Amino acid sequence: MKSLALLPLLLLCCAPLYAAGGQKDELPPGASIEKDPKYPPVVAYTLKNGLKLLILEKTFVPTVSFTLMFKAGNVDGQQGKTGLAHLMEHMAFKGTKTINSANYAKEKIALEKVEKAAQAMIAEESAAAPDLKKVEELRKALAAAEKEADALIVKDEYWKLYNTLGESGMNAMTSTDYTGYVVSLPSNRLEAWMVIESDRFKNPVLREFYRERNVVMEERRMGEADPNRTMWETLVSNAFVAHPYQNPTIGWMDDLKRLTRTDAEAFFKAFYVPNNATLAVVGDVRPTEVIKLAEKYFGGWQNRPLPARAYTREPAQKSEKVVSVFFKAKPALRMGFHNPGMDNPEIYPLIMACEVLSNGKTGRFYKTLVEGKELALYAEAYPSFPGNRYPSLTVIAAAPKAPHTVEELDAALLAEVETLKKEPPTRWELDKILNNYEAEMIKQLESNSGLGMNLAQNEQILGDWKYDWRIGEELRKVTPEQISAAAAKYLTRENRTVVFLKEPLK
Amino acid sequence: MTLFSAASFALPPALPKLAGVDFKPPQGSRVVLPNGMIVYLMKDNTLPVVHMTAFIRTGKLNDPVEKIGLGEMTAGLLKDGGTLKYKPEEIDKTLEFLAASVETSMGIEEARANMTTLKKDLDAVLDIYADVLMNPAFATDKVKLKRDETLELIRRRNDDPGRAVVREALRAFYGPAHPYGWRSEEATVNAVTIEDMKAYHANYYKPNNVILAVAGDFASEEEMLAKLKAKFGAWPRGEVKFPVIPPVEIKAGRQIFHVEKDSSQAYIVMLQKGIKRHDPVEYPLSVTTEMLGGGLSSRLAAEIRSRKGLAYTVYAYSAKKPDYGYTLAYCGTKPETYSQALSEMLRQFKLITEEAAPAEEVTRARDSIVNSFVFRFPTPFELLSERASFEYYGYKADYLDNYVENIARTDPAAVLAASRRLFKPDEAMLFVIGNSKKFDKPLSEFGPVTELKED
Repeated sequence: MKSLALLPLLLLCCAPLYAAGGQKDELPPGASIEKDPKYPPVVAYTLKNGLKLLILEKTFVPTVSFTLMFKAGNVDGQQGKTGLAHLMEHMAFKGTKTINSANYAKEKIALEKVEKAAQAMIAEESAAAPDLKKVEELRKALAAAEKEADALIVKDEYWKLYNTLGESGMNAMTSTDYTGYVVSLPSNRLEAWMVIESDRFKNPVLREFYRERNVVMEERRMGEADPNRTMWETLVSNAFVAHPYQNPTIGWMDDLKRLTRTDAEAFFKAFYVPNNATLAVVGDVRPTEVIKLAEKYFGGWQNRPLPARAYTREPAQKSEKVVSVFFKAKPALRMGFHNPGMDNPEIYPLIMACEVLSNGKTGRFYKTLVEGKELALYAEAYPSFPGNRYPSLTVIAAAPKAPHTVEELDAALLAEVETLKKEPPTRWELDKILNNYEAEMIKQLESNSGLGMNLAQNEQILGDWKYDWRIGEELRKVTPEQISAAAAKYLTRENRTVVFLKEPLK
Repeated sequence: MTLFSAASFALPPALPKLAGVDFKPPQGSRVVLPNGMIVYLMKDNTLPVVHMTAFIRTGKLNDPVEKIGLGEMTAGLLKDGGTLKYKPEEIDKTLEFLAASVETSMGIEEARANMTTLKKDLDAVLDIYADVLMNPAFATDKVKLKRDETLELIRRRNDDPGRAVVREALRAFYGPAHPYGWRSEEATVNAVTIEDMKAYHANYYKPNNVILAVAGDFASEEEMLAKLKAKFGAWPRGEVKFPVIPPVEIKAGRQIFHVEKDSSQAYIVMLQKGIKRHDPVEYPLSVTTEMLGGGLSSRLAAEIRSRKGLAYTVYAYSAKKPDYGYTLAYCGTKPETYSQALSEMLRQFKLITEEAAPAEEVTRARDSIVNSFVFRFPTPFELLSERASFEYYGYKADYLDNYVENIARTDPAAVLAASRRLFKPDEAMLFVIGNSKKFDKPLSEFGPVTELKED
């Protein structure tokens, strides 16, 4: 099931996957192992500072996957500082007071000079009528300050450490909802990971900030050259008028130009706290050992109260929005309908509706539009975009096959949605979807890193690592009539925004 | 084999002493059926799933020049076009209801057919998989659908210049008429007939031209082998005719190609002549490309991305081929800084041929490959697929088992020797897509430029 990163509900009878974990060693007080065979035997434990641990022991190769997930996404940056969460993520690879630094006491002073020079430059650049000569001088002053600070850097030491350790898949991801840090290592590097990562989040130094900001601007430009990213960004920025889901996670270019290291440090201080994080550890490790080491290295990480996070609620959409983007690429479309949010039970029939429409070659879109009428190259529906923390969009992504136009395809997609409102899905359609859901869950257990990401994300963002198993039970209860009713309620013209990508007018 | 780790550069004092990574990948069984089909088998009862993958010896490089796209269309229709026993709709309904998959594809040098099923449905799904491989029917309406889809993808091939640039650069490097560089066109796709596809299938899809890897939840290897014999045993062996691939000819001297496009970034690809597969220089070359462009601490990323802030994407790698492969470096940067990025790419390739790299850097690149080697086979199926793949590509049976030791032998002298032999940045081909009006320097300052049109 492609639509959500869903894990299946299934009896995990296949014992050999999991080593004898909980039986061999006694778990420390406060730790619990999941005993219900409906779920994998995950060990859960929370440190006194609020950091939640989820551990699953799995064997075949001696490797382990780590996911550290913060509920700190683009929605948590203020208006005018879009892209801050993502830029902070980049900065978390720049080391600590001891990693990447030759002499932090001296470097601290040099970094303060850099910050002062950068802020002066940004102030002039942001002036109503910037003095270009002065901007150039300030730019040179910043470059000079950076050069001084560079002399005190041990370049890329953080990355080099992980190269030596034998990392695989070292990365991080930022979304509207969260920031997650992932890496897989040979399993006998468990303690090394604890040493480095606890330092990384207790003592970060955001060095080389303004160059990394340039890297992120290049990342944004890369997206601007890509028709798909352009369409998604246009969709959310038009569909939402008040809620921060309107902002692209990469940030608006004008905001990026004004972000400072001071901004990033404030963001870090507010949201990178243990009481805002979940750590999932999946692989060839003993849970008791993981807990012992987490206590040792992460126990001293100071928690802090989190800021209030009440963002403007999106008002109900009252009129259809149709947006044309002229772009040098073949035509395509993206449409979004405001949904009630993942914590509203009406999302379940909407999830099923998406699957009825676009689950495989037997899905309705493929049968009628890709194959039957040959109108579409592809047509897919997803229940929730761009996030899951707040009410979001149920979306359809499609592209026409020449000589058909986006308008023709749009009309055909809407007609298919109308049919769904009138003709509830058959039992066969629903059973197929549920079968796929169960199988997908089993297959997801094959990958340590995929499973770790899932556990951490569900726990930290949706409040329960078992979320996907539970949602599976909810999907099972959905009736065909509920699916048609949900389509009739949410997939309406006045509730939708559609973006047409068209070739430039000649 | 023991994967050792030498923590050669100063690790932070708080870090525990690193032990080696000790993992000997299991062998699995290898059986040859009487009709010549090679089967790799490994039982894995951790999850109630069975996976298979077949390597069929062909590839896009075997297409006739006037029918480029024949192999890919044939592979794409093996399942979609139905079989002797199953109508296309029956296949889709059965597989999708069982949440199983049968997928067929065509790469440049290999055709594949993959199958995944829950254990409980193995017999039903295996029956479809076997019929897809042996008896495809190429239903007329499905052929039309596939052809239309292929033509639509051709129309869309330049939508994202960041991707198009790699394909077009290789096309310019090997020449548009050489199979390593060519692409299918509207005319070549339209020239493919159902008879062509039937003949293509009849020639290449033969048991003696197939290596199959099977892993998953079955009772015993004997039981699985009996099932495979029941399905594939009667598939007759036969002679396979392979076309002669013309030798690779790469022009000496600097060549530059430019495609004008008003895009927010300029995309640069730099290509140099690489190695033929099985050349033992692959080990020091792997370490060298890791150092140059393997990750965010590599020379290209460190200089162009982290120090200069010029790019988000910048990397390099080497590809092996039966004839000469290539070393490719890639960068996406705004047009106003393209020449800075390009100059740095050229400088880094030159530098590594001029000065021996510090031992610490070579060891770290080596460690990076050696210590992460274990991630090449996270599951028994992936391990077995690797083994099957190495046999397919003609490696010795112990290639995988000796790989780490061979990498570990690389020292700074070997890196320097490999770099000197293979890198001639002054002669590298450069391919750039971007808005030349915004370029910080004319591209012609790097050499003679041939202007191309996006098509």
